[in-house]
Amino acid sequence: MSARVDITMTLNGEEIVETVEPRMLLSDFLRDRLGLTGTHVGCEHGVCGACTIRLNGVTARSCLTFAVQADGARIETVEHLGTVSSLGRIQQAFRKHHALQCGFCTPGFLMTVQEMLETLPLDTDEEIRDALSGNICRCTGYEHIVRAVRELADEREGAAA
Amino acid sequence: MKPAPFEYVRAASVREAIALLDHDDAKIIAGGQSLVPMMNFRLAQPERIVDINAIAELSGIREDGSDIVIGSLVRHAEAMRSPLLARHFPVIAEAMHHVAHLAIRNRGTIGGSLVHADPSAEWPLLVALLDGEIVAEGPDGCRTVKADEFFVAPLVTEIDETEILVAVRFPKPAPGAGMAFDEVARRAGDFAVASAGALVSVEDGVMREVRVALGGVGDGPVRATAVEEELTGRVADKVSISDTVELACEGLEPETDIHASAEYRLSLVPVLVRRVLERAVLRAGAGAA
Amino acid sequence: MNELPRKTQGLGDEALAMARPKYVGKAVQRLEDPRLLTGAGRYVADIRLDRMVHAAFLRSDQAHARISAMDCDAARAMPGVIGVFTAEDFADIPVISAPSRMRDYRATKCTVLAADKVRYVGEPVAVVIARDRYIAEDALALIEVDWEPLDVAADAESAAHSNAPLLHEELGTNILFERVFETGSADDEMAAAPHRVSGRFRIHRKTPLAIEPRSYVAEPDRANDGLTLHGSTQVPGIIRDILSGLLDLPGNRIRVVAPDVGGGFGGKGSLYPEEIAVCALARKLARPVKWVSDRSEDLCSTSQGFDETIEAELGFADDGTLIALKGQVTGDVGAYSIYPWTAALEPVQVVSFLPGPYRIPHYRGEVKGVATPKPPTGPYRGVGRPASVFVTERLIDMAAAHLGIDPAEMRRRNLVSETEFPYRIGSGIVWDRSGFAECLDEACSRVGYEGLRRLQQEARAAGRWFGIGIATYAELTGIGSRISVAPGMPINTGTETASIRIDSTGAVTATFAVASHGQSLETTLAQIVAEELGVRPEDVRVVHGDSGATSHGTGTYASRSAVLGGGAAIVTSRVLRDKIRRVASHLLEAAAEDIETGDGRVFVTGTDKSMSFAEVAHAVYSDMKALPADAREILEASESFDPVTGTTTTATHIATVEIDPETFAVKIGRYLVAEDCGRMINPLVVDGQVHGGVAQGIGAALLEELSYDRTGQLLTGSLADYTVPTAVEVPHIDVVHLETELPGNPGGFRGMGEGGTIGAPAAIANAISDALSPLGVGVTELPVTPERLFRLVSEARNKTDTEK
Repeated sequence: MSARVDITMTLNGEEIVETVEPRMLLSDFLRDRLGLTGTHVGCEHGVCGACTIRLNGVTARSCLTFAVQADGARIETVEHLGTVSSLGRIQQAFRKHHALQCGFCTPGFLMTVQEMLETLPLDTDEEIRDALSGNICRCTGYEHIVRAVRELADEREGAAA
Repeated sequence: MKPAPFEYVRAASVREAIALLDHDDAKIIAGGQSLVPMMNFRLAQPERIVDINAIAELSGIREDGSDIVIGSLVRHAEAMRSPLLARHFPVIAEAMHHVAHLAIRNRGTIGGSLVHADPSAEWPLLVALLDGEIVAEGPDGCRTVKADEFFVAPLVTEIDETEILVAVRFPKPAPGAGMAFDEVARRAGDFAVASAGALVSVEDGVMREVRVALGGVGDGPVRATAVEEELTGRVADKVSISDTVELACEGLEPETDIHASAEYRLSLVPVLVRRVLERAVLRAGAGAA
Repeated sequence: MNELPRKTQGLGDEALAMARPKYVGKAVQRLEDPRLLTGAGRYVADIRLDRMVHAAFLRSDQAHARISAMDCDAARAMPGVIGVFTAEDFADIPVISAPSRMRDYRATKCTVLAADKVRYVGEPVAVVIARDRYIAEDALALIEVDWEPLDVAADAESAAHSNAPLLHEELGTNILFERVFETGSADDEMAAAPHRVSGRFRIHRKTPLAIEPRSYVAEPDRANDGLTLHGSTQVPGIIRDILSGLLDLPGNRIRVVAPDVGGGFGGKGSLYPEEIAVCALARKLARPVKWVSDRSEDLCSTSQGFDETIEAELGFADDGTLIALKGQVTGDVGAYSIYPWTAALEPVQVVSFLPGPYRIPHYRGEVKGVATPKPPTGPYRGVGRPASVFVTERLIDMAAAHLGIDPAEMRRRNLVSETEFPYRIGSGIVWDRSGFAECLDEACSRVGYEGLRRLQQEARAAGRWFGIGIATYAELTGIGSRISVAPGMPINTGTETASIRIDSTGAVTATFAVASHGQSLETTLAQIVAEELGVRPEDVRVVHGDSGATSHGTGTYASRSAVLGGGAAIVTSRVLRDKIRRVASHLLEAAAEDIETGDGRVFVTGTDKSMSFAEVAHAVYSDMKALPADAREILEASESFDPVTGTTTTATHIATVEIDPETFAVKIGRYLVAEDCGRMINPLVVDGQVHGGVAQGIGAALLEELSYDRTGQLLTGSLADYTVPTAVEVPHIDVVHLETELPGNPGGFRGMGEGGTIGAPAAIANAISDALSPLGVGVTELPVTPERLFRLVSEARNKTDTEK
């Protein structure tokens, strides 16, 4: 039982081939096996949202996914959004509005916000808050996060018009 | 919080999955949004995990004569966005909005939610409300189970360990039926303290078909048959509804837990029933409400 | 154009553009953000070292039980397991005890792992070291413990009884401390007061719940027989000092480093058994040992807070003038008195701050702390004051209602006024001038208080439950050496040191013993150093949270780092700037007094003569012909700062709520904070601290509660059951800043990290009580959940029915 399994995935645009024990959580695989420590682990039962990644284009909790299930999948993590010297647009907005303090929940928020901007109207701040409600931040009181997303959503509308 | 070891197998077809389930302690994984937390807490330690995510025949939402059939692998987010469901069962999208959060809705499936059978969850209530039938396939073939037989006890269903829930079949409602869903939860996305759904057809100002289902107040979803019977044939107005809603509490024995007492849960029942009935009546006859 | 500040007169145009003030008070974007936004931060859990092994702790599932036998053989035999250790393996480590000079205080004794008995569910009893965490947890399941269950008195009331089962037999009681504060003659004056209101108030236990769970990596330094502990701690200096004693290692062989830390809120501000265990095991095994708490462990092992019952009474005159206040506080402090703060920290703060910002001539406050079979309590954001402000502000509102006076007016009549500062309240705390009344007035004006009252009338007429709540409070922040952060604590928390150096390339490095874990200190301290030294914030590298880089300093807690760290930054920068000016006076051939600095350059005022910091550094360190030997000053300074007493921070919070009369769901509408934190270093950061504090206060008021049953079992062991606010439960928050007279520290800063959490529970409790006032009921218990509101309203309705 629990024989190790070979897996292949496209991670942040790069093909990865590894062998894993079936029980290894995707969050641990990304962090401990591949050294992509930007994905954080806050609860390991799917509530806090710190480990949120994109799995085949949609957000998912990496703590509720086994690495072996990601065989053949396309995965993006926070490391895909920008670099220290060249922040991505969402990261810039978060910085501008001071939407992070300790930064631990931040990668999960960024992944969620990316999906929100792609899929939701975000006409009202209530809608933004509702869509953010699967990610817990204990530092910011969410106010500045909402402002950052508001700016990004308005900017998107401006670009579409 | 790391899961115990297990053997992982990915099934390509329902038949293969059923064959793989022929094992002492095998468990199906679909979205994993209920199973994996239990495994991380080591409350569940299956020896074999059968991954059904790659089984194409379990996907999709389709029309089948007078029924709508939802494959068990359909994610909450997909159900929420489905134009077909929006046309026939707008209440599904309304209810899905209360299911956890974006990332969970992207992964969690209708089949997973139903076999997990949390009495506070939205899908069990919807199946009860919409007279859904659960289609299960096992070594001996397919069978269909009605909602009132499916939910046996909290976290226990009629489905056998050797079977797979393959789809849910919902009969299309009468044209113009109004539907509504509402729930009380501690926070956005939490499991409901209590929930209610209603479906009402109105003809000439009179309620013809009335269905009311409740969640969070019993061992599984509960149909408020006393309310349904009393309201059928009554004038579709607020007075009829408010006269009747207390009947919804008949025979209910909700649980007390850290989030709510039985008394508080019970007090929510007539309130939620009234709210969903009033909204359903308003929406009835208004086309795609 | 306004008249120029005197200091800048006579500067050349270029110098003028670079003059101060330039960075302090500005919304400078954070320097720590780029790495944290890109996943390039380095938290303890991110650390991977060669030969590193992983720890998992077996924790008690009993609240109070004797360990009759433990069998670890099967766990030891498991492949991948390196060792299994129990209490006897740590026998050479002294017992942990938190001393205090406080009278009637009884310190508890705690070992790294429970030796003969356990005192709470979650107490560590064994530790497995394995190749990875998965295997370590597999092995835990194989350890067999024979428990002999002992009687349990699970709450403070029953544990305080003389016949209650004793957690610490050697103490002869479960009462760990008792203390009385008295000013005037509260008993007599209360009895004589024309009006009295009273209540029995309850606030339930919380967990700080930083999103990063506690984590430690102990890295042995085999070459020097030393050790580095990488820890998610707020207090690396305190941990280094205590570990030095416990492990018998001099401070130069043990280093405690807090890298990026994912929030603390007090929960990472104490000494924990796990950090001692990983250090001892890393030395024993001669390899790095890592332990990362999982959420399940975090909820039962990180210090908890806010667990009190408070009986209080307020006496007042016909015109609302407050006469006397009495309070009896019983703290449920958990199983051990935590190091270094002691179990007295939280309950004594409750009783100390009960008189609040009000003129109350007569006060008697009694407090006792009772040991219970629950995890130890420790600091949690706000410490004691969320409870005391809740009680006092409820009493003020009850008194106002009793007299038919508007709650805002009731406060106005009793707040300590401008001419009365410094004002000593009945517990002995002294308030310095701070905008007590100004914040109240500004909050009322900004929120449109009168308009809200009109809205309320309309809402009530329509049968809606709409309420407005005010909370006005003061807190002591930035505490210096004359006051102890915790009562009678023998460590110094009243000073901080900065060391700033300019290296041979001209780059500036500023080192502090404070430890930022979300507070933005890398930015705000850089702003201060930049301002004082004359460089840009991005040119200053702030080193913090590393005990190896400083001789002494405790860390970041108790709203102290802006005042103490900021103060140290200013005094040190000024010494260093004077050095630069002296050196530059030789190089630029001008008097030191005529030399200014700005944007990394050094100028002679009124001329176009200037040079860069890099050129000055080159002249000092590298070009030995540039300066006479006796003028070569090393461009370094190290100074300590002690605010001696503390600063007084104040705020008024105003909240509106609407309650669904059928479901008892509470929705917060407006939320406004008007606060006086002195001069702001970075307004964005101040706003962020207020928002975050308010969100935690909302959690304390409406959602968060650690529930234990009668046997001491935790019922809220997951984040599905311990419910913290999401973005939906937290409303839009307005923050208004007032700057009255600045406090007497170099920067004019007051601490402000905790205030949001202090004011919000009271404001919300008052708003809900206001909404329910037509029913004749008010809030006395927090969190006020829909369940509690349901019961409160049902009782009121039943009472009305019976009276009919």
